[in-house]
This record gives sequence, structure tokens and C-alpha cells, in this order.
Amino acid sequence: MRDKDLPLAPDPVVELYKRDVDRTLLRQNLTRSVDERILNLMELQRFAEELRRAGQRSREQRR
Amino acid sequence: MTDFKRLLQLLSASKVDFILVGGMAATVHGASRLTQDLDVVYSRARANLERLVAALAPYQPYLRGAPPGLPFRWNAETLERGLNFTLTTTLGDLDLLGEITGGGGYDDLVSRSSLIEVFGEDCRCLDLVTLIQVKRAAGRPRDLESIAELEALLEEQRRFGPPDP
Repeated sequence: MRDKDLPLAPDPVVELYKRDVDRTLLRQNLTRSVDERILNLMELQRFAEELRRAGQRSREQRR
Repeated sequence: MTDFKRLLQLLSASKVDFILVGGMAATVHGASRLTQDLDVVYSRARANLERLVAALAPYQPYLRGAPPGLPFRWNAETLERGLNFTLTTTLGDLDLLGEITGGGGYDDLVSRSSLIEVFGEDCRCLDLVTLIQVKRAAGRPRDLESIAELEALLEEQRRFGPPDP
């Protein structure tokens, strides 16, 4: 059975969180292949790591 | 950092029976949130444990967060005695899950997964509705944002009708 055939009851708390979801990012991802989605995640991970290191260097310099 | 591409290729090419769950499954479905590790539900069949052990052995699997030097033996007997293992490897962090809350084990979930092609290899990924259901069942407050994104994704898929991965 495909995902879209299955029922899923709404949860009021999740509905509130859903208002803040950036759907433009999701639509962009849906145009990508699975391989592209994973490579994009790895690129994000590298970027987050670089930011973390930059923050760490900055804190060390301020000491 | 986790080399998702190589880990997935390794498990698939080694004919390990597993299902992608967690953050990577969400990414496969189109979610945009960052995840740090690879979560898979693996088959507990003895032959599969042996394939899993052989595939990961060169990448120095070890218990994540555990002090170095523990007598951790990476073999099928260790996997048989345990269930869920959070591991570090030289390819990155890997969570091997024998069961997940609200979903059960590999045999329970295989019919709720789809076969997808990733980097030229076939692997199974938990379907989006089941992914939402197991995240709801886990009941962790930190998952609320993730569940909201997955449900929005489901709505987008229903609205625009792209093929399932």
C-alpha cells in the first residue's frame, strides 16, 4: 500500500508545530532525486561542522 | 561526520537486510532537517548478523560514548546477545536497531518499507506514514518538529503527487 492511501489522525500539538515548517524547502527537495537529497544532507553536515569549528576557534581566541 | 553514502553502499553491497529509519529515512522522503547518524533496523537472522559483522569489521565499530578499551567484541554472538547498538565507525555514527518503538523488528517492518535505489544499490526505506507513526509512538518531545515536517511532507506529496521514493 502506498503512503498516501493510509489514514493518519491529526494531532493538535503537531498541527501547531506544522505552521512553522518551511514548505518551500520541502517542495525543493521533492524535485531532487534520492541520491541528491542524501548528498545535500552530507553537504549540510559539512557546513554545520565548519560552523562549529569556527565558533570554537572564535571562543578560544577570546580567552 | 558520517559518510552516509559509503555506509549505505557498504551495507547494501554486502547484502545486509536492513531498513532505513529515523533521520536518513526522513531525508530520503524529502525532509530538510539535519541528521548526524544512520539509523537502520536490521534483520536478526543469523546469516544476516554474519554479513553485518563482516561488512563493518574493517571500519572499527565500537560502542558510541563508551570509554576506550572495553572488551567489546564485534561478532555475531555479540549482536545476538544484544538488540540495539549505537556505534561509532570510521565511516561515522551508525545505530543498529533490532526493534523500534511502535514498529517492532525487521520482519514486522519489511512490508511497510519500499525498495529504493541509492547510489546504484538497492535498499529498503521505511514508508513515510510508518515513519510518522513510529516517531509519534516514541513520544519524545524533541521529535515534535520532525513529525510536523514529515506530516507537511506527506501533505505536499498528496497535493503534488510525486512518486514514492
